[in-house]
Amino acid sequence: MIILPYQIILTVVIGACLAGIACSLIGTFIVRMKLSSLGFCMSHAAFAGSALGLVLHINPLSMAILFSIAVALFLGPLVEKAKLHADVILGIMFSLMLSLGLIFLNFAPETAMSSTAMGILWGSILGMNTSDIINLTILTSLIIVLMILFSKEFKAIMFSRKMAEASGINTRPFYYLLLFLTGITVSLSLKLVGGLLVFALIVNPTSIVCQFSYNIKKIILFSPLCGIVCCLMGILLSFLFDFPVGSSIAIFSSIFFGIAVIFSPKRKRG
Amino acid sequence: MSNHLKYNYIIELSNVDTIYEGEKIPAIRDVNLKIKKGEFLCVIGPNGAGKTTLLETINGLLKHTRGKVNIFGKEIRKFGSSIRKEVGYVPQGFSVSSLMPFLVKDVILMGRFGKIGLFKSASDEDYLKAKEAVKLVEIDGLLKKPIGKLSGGQLQKVMVARALAKDPKILLLDEPFSSLDFKASAEISERISFLHEKKNLTTLMVIHNIPSIPKRCKRIVLINEGMVIQDGPVNEVLNSGSLKFAYKVRK
Repeated sequence: MIILPYQIILTVVIGACLAGIACSLIGTFIVRMKLSSLGFCMSHAAFAGSALGLVLHINPLSMAILFSIAVALFLGPLVEKAKLHADVILGIMFSLMLSLGLIFLNFAPETAMSSTAMGILWGSILGMNTSDIINLTILTSLIIVLMILFSKEFKAIMFSRKMAEASGINTRPFYYLLLFLTGITVSLSLKLVGGLLVFALIVNPTSIVCQFSYNIKKIILFSPLCGIVCCLMGILLSFLFDFPVGSSIAIFSSIFFGIAVIFSPKRKRG
Repeated sequence: MSNHLKYNYIIELSNVDTIYEGEKIPAIRDVNLKIKKGEFLCVIGPNGAGKTTLLETINGLLKHTRGKVNIFGKEIRKFGSSIRKEVGYVPQGFSVSSLMPFLVKDVILMGRFGKIGLFKSASDEDYLKAKEAVKLVEIDGLLKKPIGKLSGGQLQKVMVARALAKDPKILLLDEPFSSLDFKASAEISERISFLHEKKNLTTLMVIHNIPSIPKRCKRIVLINEGMVIQDGPVNEVLNSGSLKFAYKVRK
């Protein structure tokens, strides 16, 4: 078990809570709008960008944001018109981004490879600092404000994008706003959870909550809480067993999901 | 929709083609259609004739590739979203996942979301209109049910209520009776006819089952292979050779 100073623990806990809220809130919309494959590629693009930043000695966060937004701008229009099937996106873009990330890391200086690079891959408790907390606080607040301001539009699009258009909503700006927010969210959560597993924090909490409710308001409300629990429990596992944080969060949230499926009232008869 | 009084036809299509992406042959071609405010019109034709394409071209969900589509005197290409705020649309065979996390009452209110506009939440009037639509379609008992748990017929009724909740000026219905039993079809047909009479609601209905054409419908458009092959009074179209030709009836 690792023993860390109080201040570092506090930074990690606050960071985990913010990442949990931001990722799972975005996840609610990504999952319901069937954009999981695109989001998955964006998270791995963030990983590749971050790795390139490390090699070129450019801020990895800026590069992560740049890469994931670039993927969104490239794939977004193709997915939007259903010209690309989800499996195709996953098969090509996921492997491309992962390969690029690993090649970039291969060129990273040896010292960086030992700590920062591994943090980018699997996440690190020590990766978070005060500026990350400030960035995550701003992002989480922005997501919450936007979700409240445009709750009608997002709900209508989550139900059916075509029917939202038919009711007179111009859905395209909201679609790209969501992709943009996803790009920033995965990039900012990269240090804690790692590029390979950040998507678990986007998909798993909302999928867990969805097992217990048909009410979208409750799902939007409880997904961030579930995200916080997954993050904190993941960090606890990481402290106790010295596991990478990303892996711990992914393992805990997956087990939690399995339990939720078993006890889901949606699957009970009578 | 400030220029409602400035147009001669509420729906006007001139030489319209719509080609799907990746296709060479238009799904509808050279369509000319003029519909006056308050008309009740049915569109008939065999499978794959282009009926749904026509409806989706009219409300701009499908972009036409040639010609002009004007609704309320405005081009759908330029003013699509604002026009659709006044157009109720019931799609054909709409289905949802059984785990879809929305309740029926939420889905019906969503019909008004475009009309409510950005940065505003649903007002008392919005809830009242949604309630009126629910009452009209008689689905009070379904309101708190998850939308994914409804039968095909119930979902169809909900989609009709959603379209009516908008208090539309034009109602586009794509085979609204396809999942309904005989009794429910007759009831919904009666409600739509009632609305048409009461509100002078311009109604365009795609229909497969010719005997189900509502009595208030005075005009039929017959489509075959993407083209309007006959457009006229109900009896004239139904008794014409074009109908037999379109459906390939030999005797």
